[in-house]
Amino acid sequence: MTIDDESIAAFVDGELDAIGTKRVEKAMADDPALTEHIARLKSLRGTLSAHFDPVLTEPVPDRLTALLANVDTSMTHRRDNKFAAPIRRFAVTQWGSMAAALALGLFVGNYALRGPQGPVSASGDTLIASGPLASALDTKLASAQGAGDDIRIGLSFRDSDGTACRSFESNAVTGIACHQDSNWQLRQTFSGKNSSQYRQASSGQLAEAVASMIDGAPLDAQAEMALRDKGWK
Amino acid sequence: MAFEQDLIALLPRLRRFARGLAQNAADADDLCQAAIERALKSRAQWQPGTRLDSWMYRITRNIWIDDRRSLARRGTSVDFDSETLQIANDDHARMEASMELTDVDRAMSRLPEEQREAVMLVLVEGYGYKEAAGILDIPIGTLTSRLVRGREALVRDLGEAA
Repeated sequence: MTIDDESIAAFVDGELDAIGTKRVEKAMADDPALTEHIARLKSLRGTLSAHFDPVLTEPVPDRLTALLANVDTSMTHRRDNKFAAPIRRFAVTQWGSMAAALALGLFVGNYALRGPQGPVSASGDTLIASGPLASALDTKLASAQGAGDDIRIGLSFRDSDGTACRSFESNAVTGIACHQDSNWQLRQTFSGKNSSQYRQASSGQLAEAVASMIDGAPLDAQAEMALRDKGWK
Repeated sequence: MAFEQDLIALLPRLRRFARGLAQNAADADDLCQAAIERALKSRAQWQPGTRLDSWMYRITRNIWIDDRRSLARRGTSVDFDSETLQIANDDHARMEASMELTDVDRAMSRLPEEQREAVMLVLVEGYGYKEAAGILDIPIGTLTSRLVRGREALVRDLGEAA
């Protein structure tokens, strides 16, 4: 008597009811080929387990546990993660953790108290550059700056709305600012050079943020100068 | 906090599942990372009291399937060649000690997605038919026929090593 493949599989997997099980066992008694086939299928399960079970005892990579410990290291691997969703534009903070968002809030608060001399202030609901950061964004050319400057300009480019944007690094904050309504709006912000997280920010996040916003290629030295002279319009 | 703790406890099993879907450790961990991120974003959609593990496995598998579909649309085949390269880069001693292991990766990578995920859920992750069918959102009959075909293909491919 032939048993269908589904029943054989269910038998091997322990999913067959009592009657079906008895039927298979009876068939096996008279059919060495069936017995061998079933033995093969059982052995396959063992082979697969032997191959995959060792993963269970591997140490879990930090970047996975970190996601669940409320520390966001996911951004450092996002560029290489083929399964990652694209980075959204206009996020003021790219940090996942509440602590980091609070830190930025506290930082802005401090500077606001000191008046518009700080690098960041608010215009309505928008974070904008002010003080020395705004001056640097207005006037500094990436091609003509000193290596030791507090505020360094990275790239100047246009986003897909045609707005002029510039990436920058400074002690307090690193990020991308775009020139709109006579202000430099802070579209992306990350830890500044003074922060212990700085290395993460400068190598991965900033580059990725630029890549997600840029339309075409960054401006060369000449185009940057011309754009500055036009007032970044 | 319990939600995060439970997910942390699930990570070894999820990594094993992802390794079976993706066949190399780097892609597998990328898949896990994407799944955790999505789980954290959609945690409101998980109903406390229901199986967190089934929910996570479903998320993981959906992300993997979406990625495979978009690969297919772009015309890139998930190629045997990159598997070979990956294997070649692996620890040589480990490879020599068990040629059978590389056969398993290769054989798994040859399975169509629907058979591969069925095999992983039932034969490796140990889910019963009903639970596995629930995770994949398919009738049990569909699951068992995919299991039959997947196993047949593996036995054929692995030959003596099965």
